[in-house]
Amino acid sequence: MWTFAFKRLLSGAVTIWFIATATFFAMHAVPGDPLTRDKAMSPAVRAQLEQRYGLDKPLVTQYRLFLGNMLKGDFGISFTQENRRVNDIIREHFPVSAMLGITALLIAFIGAVAAGSIAAQFRGQWPDRLLMMAVVAAISVPGFVIAAVAQLLIVQLNNRLGQPLIPVAGWGGFSHLWVPALVLGLGTMAYLSRLMRASMLEVTNSEYILAARAKGAYGWRLFWSHQLRNALLPVVTELGPAIAALTTGGFVVELIFAIPGLGRYFVQAVQQLDYTVIMGTTVFYGAFLVIMVVAVDIAYGLIDPRIRYSRGR
Amino acid sequence: MNLLNVENLQVEIGRGPNSVKAVRGVSFSLAEGEFRALVGESGSGKSITGLSLLDLLPSKSVRRADRFQLENLALPNQHHGQWRKLRGNRLAMIFQNPMTALDPTQKVGWQIAEPLCIHRGLSRRQAWQRAIELMERLAITDAEKRAHRYPFEFSGGMLQRVMIAMAIACEPQILIADEPTTALDVGVQQEVLGLLNELRESRGTAILFITHDLGVVAKIADSVSVMYAGQVVEQGPVETFFTGSTTKELHPYSKALLAAVPDLSGGKPLQGIAGQPPDLRRPPSGCGFAARCSQRMEICDQAPELFHDANGDHRCWRWHEAFQTYLSQQGQVRGAQHD
Repeated sequence: MWTFAFKRLLSGAVTIWFIATATFFAMHAVPGDPLTRDKAMSPAVRAQLEQRYGLDKPLVTQYRLFLGNMLKGDFGISFTQENRRVNDIIREHFPVSAMLGITALLIAFIGAVAAGSIAAQFRGQWPDRLLMMAVVAAISVPGFVIAAVAQLLIVQLNNRLGQPLIPVAGWGGFSHLWVPALVLGLGTMAYLSRLMRASMLEVTNSEYILAARAKGAYGWRLFWSHQLRNALLPVVTELGPAIAALTTGGFVVELIFAIPGLGRYFVQAVQQLDYTVIMGTTVFYGAFLVIMVVAVDIAYGLIDPRIRYSRGR
Repeated sequence: MNLLNVENLQVEIGRGPNSVKAVRGVSFSLAEGEFRALVGESGSGKSITGLSLLDLLPSKSVRRADRFQLENLALPNQHHGQWRKLRGNRLAMIFQNPMTALDPTQKVGWQIAEPLCIHRGLSRRQAWQRAIELMERLAITDAEKRAHRYPFEFSGGMLQRVMIAMAIACEPQILIADEPTTALDVGVQQEVLGLLNELRESRGTAILFITHDLGVVAKIADSVSVMYAGQVVEQGPVETFFTGSTTKELHPYSKALLAAVPDLSGGKPLQGIAGQPPDLRRPPSGCGFAARCSQRMEICDQAPELFHDANGDHRCWRWHEAFQTYLSQQGQVRGAQHD
């Protein structure tokens, strides 16, 4: 098991190196550089700045310096936000994105397991049809539309009540968190619901469920001890990509709800060619995803004894 | 007194004109300690008959019976809550493929202990202890350690023992075994049969053994019911079928089945049964086997009832009194064909 985790982490490190290298050269291939501004800059000032940021050195030297600093965990200083270290930007803003993403994932996962199970239980009847219609709607309507509609509804609700019950935007406690998290998680929830439903149907029609019923198991006992655990397996494998989508894909929701997450800085950095911030956030996201995928693999082993044992050997 | 009486059991799967009339009149009884084999081709309704005894039919199926009785208890209608108290308790089932009939994510010990928690109200700890005892009784060595293992770590034979342990945990009166040896190799088959035989001898458990292996039937069954196209076409004591099959009358289908058993001495060529069983979405109005029967008569277009004689029940016009009259009227020698 631990050898397995170690191997996965090692291959993850290679992945991160590859992401870093590809991003580095792709970024430098884009015309212009962080010093290109609307305002004209005298060649002397420019040369001084280039020297200060090391942009005058050959690309390969810059790459070597970057890799060395990356191994030390230092991504340098932002070009556009003066004197702000990239590490500080990540440290301050990533927890916000992570909080939003993880809450979204929790809502999506729990909602999907419940919706999928209910739909499978009532296959072909109205609860199933209703849920599957909602799933199609949630998958096809883009996130920014749902976000805007959600805000509109909150405004209406607050107006009716005459007092702000749910904040429309901003960042603070749980009251600020749950609506954007729900909006962010909705697509994932819809997708996972379908998966859960299919998997639950398959499990329900399996021979071991028939055998469990032949023993006298029924209702909740049958659900908890036999159906749920087996039906969860394919859903859990999808959690890795889902975490990826939610923690890094929150730009739009963060923007609409005015949440100070890392996504905003990531997008800004790309627009302004802020080299250090691009590299820092990209490598950080890459590392985060690799770790999450390994964590999901390990969780999978905890649920499915077959995987756990084959890895142990 | 019989433990179980079933009269005129009918099962229809699905709804509308394309529903499958899977069981179309099955009657049998099980006495204490009786080992009854239910024989027939695939699709003859054997397994559905077995499942209907536990109310485990697929959804959207309808079961009817003139009589459906376990000792003094009339078995309740479909999906009645009372079934939950019977399943795994007084009636239990062993499935064909132990590899797929055990929950892959649950420890074997818990799977055996589960019916005891459900029906006997034992604590998990007590039930676990009982599960280990059951495993030891079924000659699973190292039971204490093995109880912690998962199904994928067991061999097929071991798993079938686990399944039997699971089924007999609450000491059921009736055990339905749906082809429990088909998925196993020959040596393991013998062990499993031995276990079942010991069970009925020591505890008086009645066993309904669903199979198409006539060799097994000849070895340990007391009585045989032959099913064809959803109906029992012939049933009686096992001797009727084997020891005396050359002198006594048998249903043409039973005869064909016996002829289809490979003879390893190489004495006679293997005889298959020509044709296909009827489509049970639209079962024939007459005798179900008529289309494939070598001794077909005009009257076979009408459905025969079960006729009784000293050897058991036979669903064939040849047992009807009128047949004798018919023979003498026709003055034919066709009767000579069925000795």
